[in-house]
Amino acid sequence: MVTEQELKSLIEQVMKDMGVNEKDNFKKEQVLEKVLNKNQYDDENIVDITAIDLKKQLLVEKPENKDAYLKLKESTPARVGISRAGARYKTETLLRFRADHAVAMDAVFTYVSDEFLKEWGLLSVNTKCEDKDEYLTRPDLGRKFDQETIELLKEKCDMNSQVQIYISDGLSSTAIETNAKDTYDAIVQGLNNYGIKVGKPFFVKHGRVPAMDAIGEALNPEVVVVLIGERPGLATGESMSCYMAYRPTVGMPESNRTVISNIHKGGTPSVEAGAHIADVIKAILEQKASGLNLKL
Amino acid sequence: MFLDGKGAKKYGKNPYFLAPFLNLKGEDYMKEDILSVGIDIGTSTTQLVFSNITIENRASIVSVPMISIVDKKVIYRSEIYFTPLLSVTEIDAITIRKIIEKEYEKAGIKPEDVDTGAVIITGETARKKNASEVLKSLSGFAGEFVVATAGPDLEGIIAGKGAGVSEFSKEKGVIVANLDIGGGTTNISVFKNGDVIDTACLDIGGRLIKINQKSKEITYISEKMERLVEKLGLNISIGSKVDKNELKKITNIMVDVLEEVVGIKEPSEELELLITNHDLRRDYEIEYISFTGGVADCISNQPENWFQFEDIGFLLGKGIRDSKLTEKKSIFKPDETIRATVVGAGSHTTDISGSTIDVSQDILPMKNVPILKLTEEEENINFNKIDKIIANKLKWFRLENDKQLVALAIKGLRSGSFKYIQDISKLIIKGMEEIINSDDPLIVIVENDMAKVLGQTLKTQLNNNKDIVCIDSIKVSDGDYIDIGKPLAEGKVVPVIIKTLLFNN
Repeated sequence: MVTEQELKSLIEQVMKDMGVNEKDNFKKEQVLEKVLNKNQYDDENIVDITAIDLKKQLLVEKPENKDAYLKLKESTPARVGISRAGARYKTETLLRFRADHAVAMDAVFTYVSDEFLKEWGLLSVNTKCEDKDEYLTRPDLGRKFDQETIELLKEKCDMNSQVQIYISDGLSSTAIETNAKDTYDAIVQGLNNYGIKVGKPFFVKHGRVPAMDAIGEALNPEVVVVLIGERPGLATGESMSCYMAYRPTVGMPESNRTVISNIHKGGTPSVEAGAHIADVIKAILEQKASGLNLKL
Repeated sequence: MFLDGKGAKKYGKNPYFLAPFLNLKGEDYMKEDILSVGIDIGTSTTQLVFSNITIENRASIVSVPMISIVDKKVIYRSEIYFTPLLSVTEIDAITIRKIIEKEYEKAGIKPEDVDTGAVIITGETARKKNASEVLKSLSGFAGEFVVATAGPDLEGIIAGKGAGVSEFSKEKGVIVANLDIGGGTTNISVFKNGDVIDTACLDIGGRLIKINQKSKEITYISEKMERLVEKLGLNISIGSKVDKNELKKITNIMVDVLEEVVGIKEPSEELELLITNHDLRRDYEIEYISFTGGVADCISNQPENWFQFEDIGFLLGKGIRDSKLTEKKSIFKPDETIRATVVGAGSHTTDISGSTIDVSQDILPMKNVPILKLTEEEENINFNKIDKIIANKLKWFRLENDKQLVALAIKGLRSGSFKYIQDISKLIIKGMEEIINSDDPLIVIVENDMAKVLGQTLKTQLNNNKDIVCIDSIKVSDGDYIDIGKPLAEGKVVPVIIKTLLFNN
């Protein structure tokens, strides 16, 4: 994004090149006002191409049987039936591809907003990662906490609860903002129905999945559950996973984790996933096992 | 590990899983067989089939289960019997029962082994006096979970599915009309891309007029045929000697009407006369036609004796072969002809619910539960008033029915918020107050995937004091009936049979 200052100097440069007097502040202000006045842009009628449902869009011209093609497309979000221009994609397909890629990038690089955490009243803690770059390049740090943070969790959160659920950005903050609250509420309702007690939730920034092991060791619940953003793809940036483990410990095998993935509006709806997860957690508690040791 | 590529497509974007798509213990994904029976008591023939319906969890271990029907196989076909009748209007229930008993024995299957299925009394026979009595005696015998009735529309759909017409239309992406021409009626179902888009039923069949082979006399004329004979001034009456040319005039009219109903000719008065319940809409172009039912076999076979079966089936078949039906439309040769309905009844009536549902223990199965469906308009525009709408519908329903059980059907949202679920649950409870206060379970059927969370919410709001059946991924219409079977796959799904009595778009 160009800052206002950069824009100003750019305009000055252009005006200078056009021979307008550098000192002519009035004219300069006039131009600047016009450029900066957003109302001047008419983007009302520009279609948001990411809003088009790819499953319902057929770009093939004169298809032999449009209905049958669309019926097939219902079963996949893949980019089929997009036609071509010579050996290349059509402009619309190319733009959509780049737009979807941008959505994925945004999902990774944005943070879960403070308003979201405040509204939910979640305590937010950080792993050992300082920023997104470190988070992406040092997976080992995304599963560890400072001693200070561990102490804070011990002080502010519930110790020894039956189930400890927490939320983590993972690789998609968008997924968390879109799904986490609904899924969480549905899980808690389901667990309450079974008379299972849930510890106070919190938020972990820059979190990798195995951070749940450190959480488990710190707070000592029976089951640790994390709702975490999945790495976005080109089909959706909103997909969330739920990982569960029975008494996880740092360094335990990955096969001890149970996971429900693909939670988003095009996959398993967030609330329905939550209701299902409640049942899975109940089974974990009953069998005192998770991952491949759990029989569902 | 990406051996079959199936999982890779679906979960390739998940960062934490490289390849958990195979069950690491080397087990197959869960498979379960359901044994289904189909019994068809038609105007002329009675048949039975047993089918294996296989369900399987197709989701990988990292997903919410997704159980679906993966295979349907007919494992036993009975002989084809002439339907035993006591008189022209009465089915011989005792003989039917004996036939069925014998076939169970031959197949080596006990009634208690049967999980699901359908007994269907089709065609003219359904209108006969003791049909419901016959069904009753068979229902108990044919397994715990069996449908008892079907209207002409459902029969047509069942025949079309049993004949593979639905599959064909889906594979080819075409519109196909299946004409199931039996002894008493012709049930028509029209499929587009695998879905039923229209149905109709006509009083056209091979045994609407019967002939005694020995005496060459006419022994039976159906009521509609009497009217047709009168209208055309033909020399056909009970006791009169058979005259092939006179009978041909009748079958020619039948063929004309078939041409009319599929849109080759303009509709005539005769079409009007021969309609059993309603006509096709014909606001689409039928590309393929297929023929099933007993008469279908008379189309291609040249008889030695035209009245070999003591009826007009062969004459009608010949008429169809020489008609514009085979000339103007492409013909699809179905997988089944005379057995289409019974195979459909055995293999294609049972469906399964979505895989995340909520059902109280030990309250299933349930049979013939009428559906109260909210329209989409009622759900979307008047959302805050749906409690009143539900209560009103329920009151109305009570006035017209003495049945106690009733299922509320809604579409629901594709991906509703937790608040939406709370709200709709409250409104449902308010609207269904009468049911809540009774001993009957609260049954809610949702089209979108939200039954588990809705079920849990209903339970929470009712303090776990009420039996609940909340299932999803099922599309029903107002006026349908539903059978819900005992849970399968460790309670993850329930089998359902939806009985559409009225088919209107």
